[in-house]
Amino acid sequence: MKNSNANKALFNRDPILKVTGLNKVFGRSKGFFGKSTSLVQAVTDVDFEVYPGETLAIVGESGCGKSTTARLILRLIEPDSGNIIVDGMDISKNDALELKHLRKSVQMVFQDSYASLNPRLTIGQAVMFGPRTLGLSIVKAREIARETLSNVGLDPTRFEGLFPHQISGGQRQRGNIARSLAFRPKIVVMDEPLSALDKSIEAQVVNLLCDLRDQYNLTYVFISHDLNVVQYIADRVLVMYLGKVVEIGDVGSLFSNPRHPYTRALMASVPSRDPKIRTQSAPIMGDLPSPINPPSGCRFRTRCPYAEDICGAEVPLLTPQKSAGGNQVACHMEKIGSGHSKGGILDE
Amino acid sequence: MNESAVSPNLDAGHIGTSKNSRFRETLYRLAKDWVFIVASVVMGAILGSAILAPLVATHDPLSISILSRLQPIGSEGHILGTDELGRDMYSRLIYGARLSLAMALLPVFFAFGIGTGLGVAAGYFGGTINSIIMRSIDVFFAFPSVLLAIAISGALGSSTTNVILSLVIVFVPPISRVAESRTTEVVGLEYIDAARISGASDFTIIRVHLFSNIVGPVFVYASSMISVSIILASGLSFLGLGVKPPTPEWGVMLNTLRNAIYVQPWVAALPGCFIFVSSLCFNLISDSIRTAMDIKP
Repeated sequence: MKNSNANKALFNRDPILKVTGLNKVFGRSKGFFGKSTSLVQAVTDVDFEVYPGETLAIVGESGCGKSTTARLILRLIEPDSGNIIVDGMDISKNDALELKHLRKSVQMVFQDSYASLNPRLTIGQAVMFGPRTLGLSIVKAREIARETLSNVGLDPTRFEGLFPHQISGGQRQRGNIARSLAFRPKIVVMDEPLSALDKSIEAQVVNLLCDLRDQYNLTYVFISHDLNVVQYIADRVLVMYLGKVVEIGDVGSLFSNPRHPYTRALMASVPSRDPKIRTQSAPIMGDLPSPINPPSGCRFRTRCPYAEDICGAEVPLLTPQKSAGGNQVACHMEKIGSGHSKGGILDE
Repeated sequence: MNESAVSPNLDAGHIGTSKNSRFRETLYRLAKDWVFIVASVVMGAILGSAILAPLVATHDPLSISILSRLQPIGSEGHILGTDELGRDMYSRLIYGARLSLAMALLPVFFAFGIGTGLGVAAGYFGGTINSIIMRSIDVFFAFPSVLLAIAISGALGSSTTNVILSLVIVFVPPISRVAESRTTEVVGLEYIDAARISGASDFTIIRVHLFSNIVGPVFVYASSMISVSIILASGLSFLGLGVKPPTPEWGVMLNTLRNAIYVQPWVAALPGCFIFVSSLCFNLISDSIRTAMDIKP
């Protein structure tokens, strides 16, 4: 299913989506008497690239900034700093032409299939809204809507005139996918599109997403906390922890050889399909620290079994590891001479 | 199913052209609600006779007959008696309904439009615009509505237009508040985010995605103000701030018949009864619509 040679070839091409130095702090507003209120560092210095035709999965536990990153890419939230380059055009500036480029190129599928469809519009109307916004005629828009609906497996003659509350959750999520695809986007950002679906429907939708990716030459940014699905659908995986990227890499090498202690803990938390191999111990201790005052240095150090003084003193940078198949890891243990007693030990 | 019913239509009149199943469900529930049916029939009779007043009335509402003053209810030729100047009460009540109901419905109608506009703008754009609109509106809540209405129409001078104007000012703040809170609720939903991602203009998003989802609750709330509006409009006329005698209007009639209460208490109470009944009917109708619409599909 996964062709790693094809993936390597992709790396030589220009990225279709390039995010550099993305930052977002919530609650920046000053208090009534000029006191600064508590700031939530939702996303801090996030850099990544997505290449045409690939699927980048963003994983991490709740509250790590996955959804915020998605919303920042789509400019639903204004970033505090950082550049977002879509298909060679920087869309992080407030320019009408660039925004139009963004709207045409990047679409989003939301988690809650019910809340993301207007209850007063039929499925057909909801799907038509996109092409209509792009300035197409009603006839043309309806044609696109019908074609897209049948491509996501919803028979237009049956579903076009139905309202969201009249169809099932799986059908609604297909409707949402159709709504985003009706723009004929290049990139689709999916914010946990499967988590509200039951397992049998989930499998159908995952297969549908794979088919549509080939059919429409799509690039996915796939946000999920279900690592089994990620392993199936993704080409590369980005692991986030408390607003920072801790590891990026090929899905194969990341799953077989996770480098960052957090990634390893995350992988260990996936329940095994074999009942004989049971999860040995709680892989990760404690709760996610508050993003209002994140730990200094490495943000994972409060829960990391290998944490040392250096981890609190210095922020580990995301550096490519030769031995990890080009994976980038932000951990002091990865670097020889970083000051960590195990520095470079993993590289041997 | 014919083709036109199924085809979605997103042109200017896009919302109304498709079958709206919720609207049908609401109608179906209303048809089974006997309180709604009785209230609508009574209100329909009052409204109908007001519109058809020249046909339904038996006398000229302004013709004075000193000889037949203060006839009791059921007297010959005057089914509901006569007032202190011998004018036929039945005809005056019917003609009075025109002005009384117009003065009750028009303020709510205008306030619904203005209040929805302000509330949607405040809720959709948020931030500073929200603060400016909503804090300005809060000022009006400092005064009781009756006092505010009396103060405004007192300051503007007594006329029908000024009564309507003052009532619009009284009703805009509560309607905007409801519209704003409902808008804030809907704006947080993901289909508005999805529409924003689509690059549609704010106007299109409000028109297609927001308005249809907030108009129902706001309309129901506004309709509950009609009953208050009838009482306030009549009250202002009673105080001499609205319509002037001899024009028939329920509030004015109540005022002029006040001295006759010891002679013909039933006749004197008639305009009050009409104010009460129509106010009650509007309230019941609005309540029934709210109940019918509140049920989630």
